[in-house]
Amino acid sequence: MRGVGVVLRAARRESRGARGRLVFFTGCLALGAMAVVGVAGLVDSVRAAIALQSQELLGADVWIRSRRALPEELERELAAARAAGARQADVRLAQTMARATATDASRLVELKAVGPGFPFHGTLVLEPPGTLDALLDPERVVIAAELASAIGAQVGDEVALGAARFTVAALVLDEPGRLDPTFTAGPRVFSSLEGFERMQLGGIGSRITQGVLLALPPEAGPAAAWVEGLRERAGDPRDVRFDSHDEAQPQVRRAARRVERFLGLVALLSLILGGVGVAEIVRAWIGTRVQSVAVLRVLGFTPRQVLAIFAGHVVALAVAGSAVGAVLGSFLPLFVPRLLPELLPAGLVIGWAPLSILRGVGLGTLVALAFSLPALSAVWRVAPVRVLRHEAEPLPPRRAVTLAALALLLAAVYVAAWVQGGEADEAGWFTLGTLALFGLLAGGARGLTKLAAVLPRRRLAPLLVQGVAALARPGAGVLGAVVALGLGTLVVLTLVLVRGRLAERLSSALPIGGASVFFLDLQSDQRAELERILAEEQASSVRIVPLATARLAAIDGVPIEALAERRDGGGRGRWALTREQRITWQAELTPDNRIVAGEWWSDPARLEVSLEEDFAEDIGAALGSTLRFDLQGVPIELLVTSLRQVEWESFGINFFLVAEPGALDEAPHSLLAAADVPREREQRVQDRVSATLSNVTVIRVRAILDKVRHVLARAGLAVEVLGAFTALVGLVLLAGVASLGAARRTREAALWKVLGQTRAGVARLFGLEFALQGFVAGFLGALGACTLAWAFLEHVLELDGAIPWWTAPLAGLAAALLSALCGLAACARALAVRPIESLRG
Amino acid sequence: MNALECRALVKELQSGPHTLRVLAGIDLAVAPGEFVAILGPSGSGKTTLLGLLAGLDRPSAGEVHLEGRRIDALSEDELARLRRGRVGFVFQSFQLLANLTALENVLLPLELAGVSRAKEKAEELLAEVGLGERLHHYPPQLSGGEQQRVALARAFAGEPGVLFADEPTGNLDAETGARILALIERLREKRGTTLVLVTHDPEVAGKADRRVHLRAGKVERIEGAGVA
Repeated sequence: MRGVGVVLRAARRESRGARGRLVFFTGCLALGAMAVVGVAGLVDSVRAAIALQSQELLGADVWIRSRRALPEELERELAAARAAGARQADVRLAQTMARATATDASRLVELKAVGPGFPFHGTLVLEPPGTLDALLDPERVVIAAELASAIGAQVGDEVALGAARFTVAALVLDEPGRLDPTFTAGPRVFSSLEGFERMQLGGIGSRITQGVLLALPPEAGPAAAWVEGLRERAGDPRDVRFDSHDEAQPQVRRAARRVERFLGLVALLSLILGGVGVAEIVRAWIGTRVQSVAVLRVLGFTPRQVLAIFAGHVVALAVAGSAVGAVLGSFLPLFVPRLLPELLPAGLVIGWAPLSILRGVGLGTLVALAFSLPALSAVWRVAPVRVLRHEAEPLPPRRAVTLAALALLLAAVYVAAWVQGGEADEAGWFTLGTLALFGLLAGGARGLTKLAAVLPRRRLAPLLVQGVAALARPGAGVLGAVVALGLGTLVVLTLVLVRGRLAERLSSALPIGGASVFFLDLQSDQRAELERILAEEQASSVRIVPLATARLAAIDGVPIEALAERRDGGGRGRWALTREQRITWQAELTPDNRIVAGEWWSDPARLEVSLEEDFAEDIGAALGSTLRFDLQGVPIELLVTSLRQVEWESFGINFFLVAEPGALDEAPHSLLAAADVPREREQRVQDRVSATLSNVTVIRVRAILDKVRHVLARAGLAVEVLGAFTALVGLVLLAGVASLGAARRTREAALWKVLGQTRAGVARLFGLEFALQGFVAGFLGALGACTLAWAFLEHVLELDGAIPWWTAPLAGLAAALLSALCGLAACARALAVRPIESLRG
Repeated sequence: MNALECRALVKELQSGPHTLRVLAGIDLAVAPGEFVAILGPSGSGKTTLLGLLAGLDRPSAGEVHLEGRRIDALSEDELARLRRGRVGFVFQSFQLLANLTALENVLLPLELAGVSRAKEKAEELLAEVGLGERLHHYPPQLSGGEQQRVALARAFAGEPGVLFADEPTGNLDAETGARILALIERLREKRGTTLVLVTHDPEVAGKADRRVHLRAGKVERIEGAGVA
């Protein structure tokens, strides 16, 4: 214990060194910690912002449904959830005919009966304004404006639905949770649950979906995890489909998932950024304390005690720096809504969160200590005899110490990545990647030193000779500098590459001409008339595709009933297998589709079908599977020859199932049309279609389209801002790292001057040395960045990972320039000092 | 038992492909309480010998015994523990820790050795070397002579059996140097400390019981009476 006290006191005294160094050291630690904590805070806020918007798109946090009554276990769990603060609205969905009793006109509609409370998030825009709770009762319904227009019913008129008649209480102009016009059968009608009972739709063959929408209390945590827990507790019921808000909307699901993963990458990379900054500062600091270490050793301190003194010092400063960084970082999300109201609405900011600050301090300190260890382990090599002879050889490196420092560093990186990212697997891969990169950079640094040593210098220009020789001399610190600069380059460039591609993807996913109006049930002989109307009304992006409905009968010869029976894990797969499928056929692949496996119409001998990849997984089909369909009584077999990835965000017409042209030409089908109609002409188009193509149902989606566009724009902005912020912090730290190595050069500069070199000459000499180091570090770091960015884009974000590899030499040059400029700036004082002053020490 | 003894001590340094023999078989024994001066021209191996005798460096061959214990094969940690309290050092460049006050510099070895009433003892020692009024000054605020006095107080703080001094007056003017030497003598005699001192200065060496002259890594001659 006595030893501990002495070490603690010595550590405290050690902190008394030069105030400037202390401030600089603490500042860099704070910057590193701010990167870790601030980014984590921003990530949380952006996550919350995107979650809120996806909640608004669903109108709730969770959507649970089944074609049968919900099982008792699930009902019990739902009751428990309500007791714990969840709000629940019961829902019934059905397709039925709505008829205006005055005009006798009718339409197939999507009926949604809801209990009180809906929507929990977002707003249902009604005309006249009001809420469903206030407007709905057993006698009244609320209908879509398109339906009103199509069947000639207005507010106050009577419509017949099933066995009952209702008064129209209001028209729906915009509703949350309607994002799938491709799969919709008709316009929306809202009724109360009691009204739904009056319709008596539950006869034989009826397809009623029963379900609940839930709003979770804040303490329930992320909806996706909550849903998983509920599913397990309820015994993983079959026939029930569970969706959390972030999974419910295909148009934003993928975008949200990609942004989420990008945020995770930023959070992880910020760890490296902070760590590299700290490691280099500690390396530079230890470099200036070698003599003190030797004196301590002479006085009887063991290497372990000396390490403890300096590590204690690092921990103290890291706690202080991390606290400053954590507090500043936690303020970051508070400023963002003011600077960028588009990114984070003010109401969403996760304010003062002591726990997250504490987590930040812990994480910052852990990262600082771990990344310092390799530099701190240098105290083992300080020979006590140095107090007698300044030039005494350092002690031989101790393998066990080096390995222990590296092992502790990797363990800490793993723990930090786990805490920061939340995934054990990812943390493992991240740690391995970091190790590989350390290896690459260390190898590069050694290669550079070796090359500099063996290069025939006589053939080089005099300036190059000295610059190259400086890299080869023992103790030049090339290894540390190259590793730090390389890691910094990796972080900055990875973010720049990934951010650019993702932001571009998010903004281009929604073409300006995304369809704003859909036309259902168009018949082939009506096609020309619709095209004429659309042309006259200046509609653009007109697309008309055939649409047949079918049921899956068997996959690879196994009947669907048997497959559904076998299917574990409940809802989604069974749902996908047994529902009515919509299938189209087309010759060319549309731009928002990408083949991810197989080939597009490649087998002339067979009738082919292409599946959306997630759907294929849901139904358990793969390339080469044979799907047998029942097309309204006609059996047909199709071979799966390609899998597609669909950009649902494009809001175009897309299908899970696309058949080869010719395969279904004779099948009974209708046409589905979509077009971007100018906003002010939408009503006219609807009126004209109702007048001349009376059977065609018009679905207007502009309000939803705008909402999705807004979500994607916000996600794109989040990616831009976070990526740029972290890259900027990275650049600042890179500049710091480049300067640190240079600060020790005063004596050397003096010597050169004594030998007759001019100040400009010394500057050129140093500049060249820094530039060579910078180039190697930047080049290797950029190779790492390209690889990481490619892997991340291709495998994690599932985007085309085309990486501009030419950035590697360019990044090398940029790093060389940065390294030389920052290095020389840091050397400015050393270059200006008269030689005699520095030689006197 | 000798306070210090070395047998066939060899130190070689590797310089690229060449091996440089700095010490080539030194035999020396120092009796308890004896004052031995090591003299020789630059490069003769004086400081290297001092480092090896004090356990700061490892010999290439030969043995070193300090107060009867063989030290040349000890680990870094064992050597560090040995130095606590048993050995004191004074250097030409003082080697004070610049971020510690005079008092804290003297306290450091006392705290490390777990001495009770360390602070009082350090204060007494500083008063003994004439710095009772400058306890809380930092090294850069002290003159060269004062810094060396702090170093002396630190060296004697742990009541070492052997004191090693490397040119302790080399960085001081003649008058201050003489005063420092007198102070070393006084402190040493009072405690019976063995002193091994490296110097260029014949006047300083003249005060030693024995003078060991080195040349090219070998003992050229030994002057004065005592153990061989």
